Amino acid sequence: MTEAGEHVRELLVESLVAWRVAGSVARAADGALGIADARKVIRIERAPPHLPFRWTVTVDGRKRGAISLVAVLRQVREALDPRYAAKRVRIAVTPLVPSQ
Amino acid sequence: MSMEAIPVSVLTGFLGSGKTTMLRHLLRQPEFSRTAVIINEFGEVGLDHELIEASEDSFIELQTGCLCCKIRSDLSQTLADLLRRRDEGRCTLFDRIVIETSGLADPAPILQTLMTDSTIAGRLVLGSVVTTVDAVNGVATLVREEISQKQVAVADRIVLTKLDLAGPAKPALHAHLNALNAGAPVLVADHGRIDSGAVFDAGFYDPRTKSTNVRAWLSEGSHDHGNARHDGDIKTYAIVREEPIRAVALTLFLEVLAEHCGGDILRLKGIVNIAESTDRPAVIHGVQHVFHPPAWLDRWPSDDRSSRIVFIARRVPQRWVEALLEAIGEEVADVPT
Repeated sequence: MTEAGEHVRELLVESLVAWRVAGSVARAADGALGIADARKVIRIERAPPHLPFRWTVTVDGRKRGAISLVAVLRQVREALDPRYAAKRVRIAVTPLVPSQ
Repeated sequence: MSMEAIPVSVLTGFLGSGKTTMLRHLLRQPEFSRTAVIINEFGEVGLDHELIEASEDSFIELQTGCLCCKIRSDLSQTLADLLRRRDEGRCTLFDRIVIETSGLADPAPILQTLMTDSTIAGRLVLGSVVTTVDAVNGVATLVREEISQKQVAVADRIVLTKLDLAGPAKPALHAHLNALNAGAPVLVADHGRIDSGAVFDAGFYDPRTKSTNVRAWLSEGSHDHGNARHDGDIKTYAIVREEPIRAVALTLFLEVLAEHCGGDILRLKGIVNIAESTDRPAVIHGVQHVFHPPAWLDRWPSDDRSSRIVFIARRVPQRWVEALLEAIGEEVADVPT
């Protein structure tokens, strides 16, 4: 299964705008999403179900797993935005729901 | 009915510096029981009124504009209306008014209005001006944001907040505060808790005790500045969702915002209907790089159970934020509860 949903495509399109980086998003015949700019070719697709992550991101032929869209965005931005210094943060240090 | 002039105190401070948290604490103190509150939020969806417990009839929210410019004339009218309601016994017999400005407000025209407007002259008098300063982001904010410098400069009292996150206030922060306003005592609030008697006890506002800069700002003409006072790159918008949001989706959403936007999120606050806790909404706060763990309300403050997340951000497009929440929500839809 390679199809990335329409919401993901839209997120990638808007992300390029938000990060002010050049590039365009296109859907491949197999449903994967591709981003192309002058320097990089990126392919984003659903990971096969037997793998322990949801997505794979291929940048210039190098394929890596991404456990969630958070990781997909990080990898895409690292590839496209030379000014970006990834700061990995974790938000959830308390229970996600209130204790009773 | 007493016709003594009623003091109007102004609570100001940059976005996310702890104004509302401190005000919420103060309003629980007995000596603040006869206080009317006016809150000005810079955003299309106001939330502070949902998060402050105050008598409804003496509580007014001024939305969708900033007191210092667009709705400045509304302030005089609001105060006049408030006095009329008091005179007619249609609200609590308050003997103090507190105005909480938006975090982006230039305080000078607000103070000028309170000192000179003829519609309220004689009935109201400008009392203390209190400015909150976030000890975590304080230095960076003071360096980058001219408005925050003015907010500090006009203060009678400066209140440092978030020292629990920042540790003891750094010498650089004190040096900045001292350079802007050497005369104002610096107090400390602990999660909003502060000696209520020390906050608004400075008496009536006296510009003669302030710096020459402050005196110049207060004597400027009262022309309308429109939005020119504000950085044009700063936008405010709200994300509203009627459907509850999964807790894990909210977590991932905030994680991306902190990672990709950081200092450009000047302020984020929201009340969120969490799918796993629909009776107890989560209140979320973020300021620049600092996102606080959610606080849980015991119940919804009104019948509106939609999630509302307000952003005040610099160059962070609303469409990206909306697309992010949609995509993450879809991604986690099949995650077991």
